[in-house]
Amino acid sequence: MTADTPPPQRPMASGAKIIRYRGVIKRYGGFQALGGVDLDVHAGEVVCLIGPSGSGKSTLLRCTNGLEAIDGGDIEFEGATLPRDERALRAVRTRMGMVFQSFELFPHLTALENVAEGPRTVLRNDLAKANRRATAMLAKVGLADKASSYPSALSGGQQQRVAIARALAMEPDVMLFDEPTSALDPETIGEVLSVMKKLADEGMTMVVVTHEMTFARRVGDWVAVFEAGRIVEQGPPTQIFDAPTTERTRDFLSHLGWTG
Amino acid sequence: MTFDWSVVWQHRDALIAGTATTILLTVATMAIAVPCGIVVAILRLYGWAPVRALAAAYVEFFRNLPLILVVFWAFYVLPILTGLGLPPLATGLAALALNVTAYNAETFRAGINSIRRGQVEAAMALGMNRVQALRRVVVPQALRRILPVLASTWVSLFKDTSLVSVIAVTELAYVSMQIRAQSFRVLEMLTAMAAIYWLLGYPQAKLVDWIQRRFAVTE
Repeated sequence: MTADTPPPQRPMASGAKIIRYRGVIKRYGGFQALGGVDLDVHAGEVVCLIGPSGSGKSTLLRCTNGLEAIDGGDIEFEGATLPRDERALRAVRTRMGMVFQSFELFPHLTALENVAEGPRTVLRNDLAKANRRATAMLAKVGLADKASSYPSALSGGQQQRVAIARALAMEPDVMLFDEPTSALDPETIGEVLSVMKKLADEGMTMVVVTHEMTFARRVGDWVAVFEAGRIVEQGPPTQIFDAPTTERTRDFLSHLGWTG
Repeated sequence: MTFDWSVVWQHRDALIAGTATTILLTVATMAIAVPCGIVVAILRLYGWAPVRALAAAYVEFFRNLPLILVVFWAFYVLPILTGLGLPPLATGLAALALNVTAYNAETFRAGINSIRRGQVEAAMALGMNRVQALRRVVVPQALRRILPVLASTWVSLFKDTSLVSVIAVTELAYVSMQIRAQSFRVLEMLTAMAAIYWLLGYPQAKLVDWIQRRFAVTE
């Protein structure tokens, strides 16, 4: 039933495979959240995971950095199977940045301290070095002037940009975005998407769970459509959005009112 | 009935010394019971199953005994257990610390439980281990959140230190009662004692309110 069609045109396919999902299975009790997912993410690619709520997109993302353990199949990161051992897993996590739907900034720390926290605590940078790095990352997301603000004083869009800066401060090889704009007011979605677009243009490898079809279409290099824990179709955005090959993709997009 | 307030002034040195001991007992008890309370709470939340059960048993044991009983218990049992003849002050401190640690452990446990799971996930996604996530992310937030509860524990403790007078710790209540017994100036000494407790307790409560406002975290 999976329509794992051979990739017709995949511009980054020559690049190294950064993440390989092979037959990934995840169960919660009797519920099968992922029922055998195959997907490749190449270096420099933006891979968008779309599909209805509860179809397994976020679960796959959370399995990628081991926040959830898989029950079957295999996830490879940079050529090595994702370790089960906590210590080895932590080393992998330092090379994957993650951005959450609900931001999850640390409310007791300023924007600068939030961004410097990873370099300080995990990479053991000294304070001056961590702060220099944090300042640069805040500037990159356009929030240099908010360094000393606490998260509660920032808008949702600003908080999410700080969260992106916090993930970038670890100098990750890949960025995982879990519905980064779903909790935002409509007027602040744009500022977050444009930061993400800029990252993509700089060549960052990104896996993005999103309901923003315009973003998936314009910025995505590869789109995977999820339904009930499986990928029902994957391909370049032109295929998914203009000439979907499966009824399920067409159904999903028409429910969203997607008109191309 | 005539009052003779000079008895208070006459014994000012003893009263000041007693007050100092009361403050010392309060500060020392909290200095022990806050870190120990955090440790017990963490053991109860994340420990190996038998350790969790032990921590829970400790909390439920000391939380549900009258403090005065724990004070007497410490006075008679601690010397047998440790083989040391502990001075009354150390015995009283031990009893208070055992009791307040149990209360603080429950307070911290509630505080830690109130921090969203996503905060730990965000910390782990950065590559932190569980101890780092607790130390850098969860505990600092939990501490701020439970400040009001710790504050009322502090104010209660300040008054409850008077219970160690039953084992002759020379704190404010014991000293006042001694002077009363010697001078027969009952109402004067009780009033003086009340005034000292209140005048010291009220600013502490206010100070704690201020700390709470100063360090409150809004989400």
